[in-house]
Amino acid sequence: MALDSVSRSGGQRIDGWRWGGRFFLLFMLLYTAVPMIWMLITSIKSGFAAMQFPPQWWPREPTLASYQKLLDPQNSVGQDFLRFFWNSLYVSVLTTLLAVAVAVPAAYAFSRFSFPGRKFLFFSVLLRNMFPAVIFLVPLFILMRWLGLVNTHGSLILTYLTFGLPLAIWLLKGFYDNIPVQLEQAARIDGATRFQAFILIVAPLSVPGIIATAIYSFIGAWNEYIYAATFLTKNEQLTLPVGIQRFFSENTSDYPGLMAATFMMSVPVVVLFLLLQRYFVRALTEGAVKH
Amino acid sequence: MAQVVLKDLVKTYGSVYAVHDVSLTVNDGEFVALVGPSGCGKTTTLNLVAGLIPITSGDIVIGDRVVNNLDPKDRDIAMVFQNYALYPQKSVYKNLAFPLQMRRLPREEIDLKVREAAKVLDMTHLLERKPRELSGGQQQRVALGRALVRDPAVFLMDEPLSNLDAKLRVQMRSEIKRFHQDLKATIIYVTHDQLEAVTMADKMAVMNGGYLQQYDTPAQVFAHPVNMFVASFIGSPAMSLIPLEATSVNGETALSSAEGWTLALSPRNARKVKKATSKKIVLGARHSTLKLHKSSIPGAIPAKVYTVEPTGDVTFVQAFLSGAVVNISVPPSVSVVPDEQVWLEFDQERMHLFDGETEMALNAE
Amino acid sequence: MTIMTGQADSNRTKPVVRTSLLQQMWTSRTDYLYVLPAIIVMLIVIAYPIYYTIDLSLYKTPPGLLLKDKIWVGFDNYVAILGSEIVWKVTLNTFIWTFASTIIAFILGYGAALALHRDFFGRGVIRAILIIPWVISAVAASYVWKWIYHSDFGLIGAVLVQLGILDHQPNFIDRTNTVLPSLIVVNIWREFPFAMIMLTAGLQTVPDQLLRAAKVDGANAWQRFWHVTFPYLSGVSTVTILLLAVANFNSFIIPWLMTGGGPANASHIWITHIYEIAFGRQRWGVGAAYSVLLFLILMTMGYFYVRALSGAEKKEGP
Repeated sequence: MALDSVSRSGGQRIDGWRWGGRFFLLFMLLYTAVPMIWMLITSIKSGFAAMQFPPQWWPREPTLASYQKLLDPQNSVGQDFLRFFWNSLYVSVLTTLLAVAVAVPAAYAFSRFSFPGRKFLFFSVLLRNMFPAVIFLVPLFILMRWLGLVNTHGSLILTYLTFGLPLAIWLLKGFYDNIPVQLEQAARIDGATRFQAFILIVAPLSVPGIIATAIYSFIGAWNEYIYAATFLTKNEQLTLPVGIQRFFSENTSDYPGLMAATFMMSVPVVVLFLLLQRYFVRALTEGAVKH
Repeated sequence: MAQVVLKDLVKTYGSVYAVHDVSLTVNDGEFVALVGPSGCGKTTTLNLVAGLIPITSGDIVIGDRVVNNLDPKDRDIAMVFQNYALYPQKSVYKNLAFPLQMRRLPREEIDLKVREAAKVLDMTHLLERKPRELSGGQQQRVALGRALVRDPAVFLMDEPLSNLDAKLRVQMRSEIKRFHQDLKATIIYVTHDQLEAVTMADKMAVMNGGYLQQYDTPAQVFAHPVNMFVASFIGSPAMSLIPLEATSVNGETALSSAEGWTLALSPRNARKVKKATSKKIVLGARHSTLKLHKSSIPGAIPAKVYTVEPTGDVTFVQAFLSGAVVNISVPPSVSVVPDEQVWLEFDQERMHLFDGETEMALNAE
Repeated sequence: MTIMTGQADSNRTKPVVRTSLLQQMWTSRTDYLYVLPAIIVMLIVIAYPIYYTIDLSLYKTPPGLLLKDKIWVGFDNYVAILGSEIVWKVTLNTFIWTFASTIIAFILGYGAALALHRDFFGRGVIRAILIIPWVISAVAASYVWKWIYHSDFGLIGAVLVQLGILDHQPNFIDRTNTVLPSLIVVNIWREFPFAMIMLTAGLQTVPDQLLRAAKVDGANAWQRFWHVTFPYLSGVSTVTILLLAVANFNSFIIPWLMTGGGPANASHIWITHIYEIAFGRQRWGVGAAYSVLLFLILMTMGYFYVRALSGAEKKEGP
């Protein structure tokens, strides 16, 4: 650092930290991005090109054949894939809508009211996050059979609701805690009922929190594997994670196809999240992380 | 407009009393200030009147209706909040229109009323703005406007000026006072600033610890505080309270200090002291009733100057006397310096005497 | 000063107003309507299964999920589990998996949040890239990494061989001594972004004044972090670590899809083990007993979880 004539030691120390930070970021970028890049590169290879040693770092003959196969409604692979895709979308969207409809009033009540048992209920809702899916599988399967929901998407939606709800309620509650109670008081004095004050004044202000909740529910439902694998047996009802797993357990060596399917399965959630992530961080800052 | 009557109003949270048996009557068209330190129950009382929190016991009467169990929307009240509580997602116009929409007034009438209120408050040019695009003073005005459009029986105001800077506060103070005079409105106004209460209100209700301490005109409260709390809370700088002991000098009742001096009393003040429950007496004196002498004169008490604060019109001098800090105002022409020995002369007609045990004011009759 | 009474008689006493619990519940009955939907869903999907699992754990069950001919065996299932050798192996694996994943993911996430706190050109893009692994499904992650670890054509092995560090393709997930660390790397890949997001949000709440004050006091970058930022974020950090620990303890997809618990149970953790016993070998009663034991472990963790969350939820309602 010969050029660093001003305040040599101080300057060097700051530079040291900054360079350390840069190397760390570079390392994290490689760790994060290389697997994804390798997924993309593999997905545009032919099956033969993927199975070579040493590997083709960049495919000599890039091909979109795997994508064509998956998106072609004429062939059976494409039909399955598109149906799985549609099933996932259907289940995720419905789960999201219901989660918002259930979480919003609950979070509001936990934030504003002081009915007996409020704390207990709040924490028992949060405790749901503690329990793994696997230990609920058998009883829930029996329950779904009793409700007549096995092999329906309803069984998934009902189940997904519960693992989206706790965090959704927690996030939204933080949001409502930050909306001054005087706004509702003003509305109630201005002639609104408690419910009107909530719908007309508070709910519109919590839109960022609702969006964050919605993203979380959607991603959770879209990515879920265990319940879908247990509750659904008919091929035409499978969602993407299970569908892909079933398909490729039969075609174990078609790595380009698997990578292409994995990529397309990831696109909707990644795009959705990147578009709306600022709401998510904001919801965390204003809600969960506040001091 | 209407009168408001509070009868034995009580609010408890669990076993904690927030409002303790408050009774008072606000006459039609009167401007009443609820004043007291934070946590004294004044805001709770206001919220009880508004119906934002349920009362524990007692009665609230607005006009000729007992409103104990009515929703806020049915009480015919308007409220201005400390943080203004403007709906952030609505424009000024929509903020003003909201209470009218809730009452399902026809669109044309709403428009008319909103524009009229905007004109009165001189903010027609702001109607399309969002609250966050307004200055503090403008937001304050919108909040006032939102109360105004309703033409309610009672206006409730919860520290509406405390978020404004000092200059704006003085200006808005006179505007609200003007507003009250023009509308002949019944107003209940909560503030922790005794100056606001004294300057604006027809009557003030001084509260402390959930109890109503005194309810009277500002002049009466100032001249005849009922206890030491009210005495020290109202007036700026605060009334000096000097703990002394009743004694007898040549058969005459007097007050003696642990510092060794005694203060002779007028016959009327002597009668007051005789009513005390013990020998402990607290002498109260406002800064303007004390005379400062630079040399010893008969009857004056020696004291040492602590600080000197010239303000231009008057100079405030603080001195230590019998363990208490005493405020004295002197003309700016008088020059004193810290640690100077001075003599203080009390005005027998305008001094206050309190029972040192009960802390209540002592009366001659 | 203790002037409370004013004009009022200082000795007056008032009966303390205490309404009964039922009365309180009745007066706030409309409040419950708001939480009712959430409670109903939770009851159906949690309370019933918990009851059912406890009940089932006391039976010997035939294969198949009709469960008609189950036989009451009391605590035999529990005795069998605690007497088996594999349970201790699985417990050790679970501990290593949970502990290593949580701590490393937290540290990497914390570091990334700090490195991305100061604004610079391209920060948004880098942050977005780092978040992606958390968003995509664990199924996708499992397949991508399975391909990267592939014993013949895997990327990492190929790079190591090409650089001359190794002379032949290593076998990451088919060897008992490398499989668990290899899976932990995948798990961390998916989870550090969560820690990063939480701490990014947390960092935004650290008051600039505090950092400036420390700077004026002569603290260097490390001292500012250690004496200001780190303690300030202790609440968020605790919650993040707990959420990560719970998620890791409960992970299933990555070990199950990548190795199925193998080779030789080297990558079995509690959850995959339970799944295999119940769904692989159809020993429902034993699976249920395992679940109940897991419950007890989780409830202990849950105690700390709730305590940390209630610390984060300091502010009480009106």
